[in-house]
Amino acid sequence: MDVSGILAEHESRSKAIQVDRLIPVEHDLGVLASFDINMLDETKLRAGQKVRDNYLKEVSREGAQILINELFSLPTTTDDDSVYASLPKTTTVLPREKPIPKEKPMTRWEKFAKIKGIQNRKKSRMVFDENQGEWRPRYGYKGVNNDDQKPWLVEVPANADPDKDQFQARREEKKERINKNQRRQQRNLEEGAMSEKRKHPQQMRKRELQKALVLSKSSTASMGKFDEKLEGEPKIKGLKRKFDPLVAAAGKEKSKNMDILSRVAKGDTSATVLNVRKAQRAINNSKRTKK
Amino acid sequence: MRPLTDDETKVLFEKLAKYIARNIIHLIDRPDEPYCFRLQKDRVYYVSESNMRRATAIGRKNLVSLGICFGKFTKTGKFRLHITALQYLAQYAKYKVWIKPNGEMPFLYGNHVVKAHIGRVTEDIPEHQGVVIYNMADVPLGFGVSARSTVDMRKVDPTGIAVFHQADNGEYLREEDALF
Repeated sequence: MDVSGILAEHESRSKAIQVDRLIPVEHDLGVLASFDINMLDETKLRAGQKVRDNYLKEVSREGAQILINELFSLPTTTDDDSVYASLPKTTTVLPREKPIPKEKPMTRWEKFAKIKGIQNRKKSRMVFDENQGEWRPRYGYKGVNNDDQKPWLVEVPANADPDKDQFQARREEKKERINKNQRRQQRNLEEGAMSEKRKHPQQMRKRELQKALVLSKSSTASMGKFDEKLEGEPKIKGLKRKFDPLVAAAGKEKSKNMDILSRVAKGDTSATVLNVRKAQRAINNSKRTKK
Repeated sequence: MRPLTDDETKVLFEKLAKYIARNIIHLIDRPDEPYCFRLQKDRVYYVSESNMRRATAIGRKNLVSLGICFGKFTKTGKFRLHITALQYLAQYAKYKVWIKPNGEMPFLYGNHVVKAHIGRVTEDIPEHQGVVIYNMADVPLGFGVSARSTVDMRKVDPTGIAVFHQADNGEYLREEDALF
């Protein structure tokens, strides 16, 4: 039985599977996309609505056909009632919405540990308390590190004042430790912020301290004139007035005077000649209040 | 001793311009010798450069005076002309007032000039303009500020003030200790 006739008839009814493109079409099958950069036929686009619509339909059908062809070339797994293609990873790079997060500046301990090659060991959160025979958190609520806060008995050291409350001393010691740690955290934050600006943290801190000192000392009614001087107090350096040399080059002073005279004669009263003292004061003030 | 700053020069010139207007140029640009303005203890001196160079040998504390004192800067930064500047003001004055012999002495004692004493006046003096005062023999006596313009002066009664007193030659005696 010759089926070629039937096949040919069947084939003529369905559209062509094979699609040819001048420039090969790119695919990103991970997101089921294909990118066709071939030019559209302009004469057909401008020919009339019917021709154009048909043409665009044809183009999009071919595009879908290419994508589906690609999908069928992927490795597939078969289920009872359907076939699954496993998609590859997407290759299209999408731009990031937010900037890449900056690397956190290292704390002093981290720097030290890096130099010494100290590795972080993971410690379990819970530790076994042999006295009570149960697992308890290492720190925090009901933590084992609070135990020394509430002993039922504290031995008074041999050389200590017998009237001193040793329980109170322990509490204060702990408070002190907490405060110290907080100060160090603060210092790490400040140093991190400075090193981000590429400034030396210690020098910056010194400068800020001096600035604060100058500001606070000049905040009295006498602008700090009668304040007690501190040891190592920074000297305030303002802008110094500078005068022209007493004996100037020949003709230089004359030409300067002529210049001013011409301005005075024109009637320019204020804006032309810079009031140097006023300007200096403004600069000094802005310097002092800045930062 | 130091040169004037720009704004000091400006203040000085503005004051001088009230008396000698554009003639300041003759003070700066002299044919005979270069002259300059120098500030010493708030006073402005007009001095030839050669003298100024000699004066540099004297310390600031010891230097009493040099050249011709034009006046002094007040603490508020204004400039006040002194009678010693009269010779240059009289030479280049734009507006002049001549006073009669009977008005000379009242003026030299530091009073304002009344209209009755005025002998002759330059035409078209505006109001509040610096004027130099001469006697009828053309000897400069001092300077002042016009109280009225020349036109308005005619309407004033004889006892009305015509020129406000600024400085007069009598100051050489009255202000002898403070002047230099």
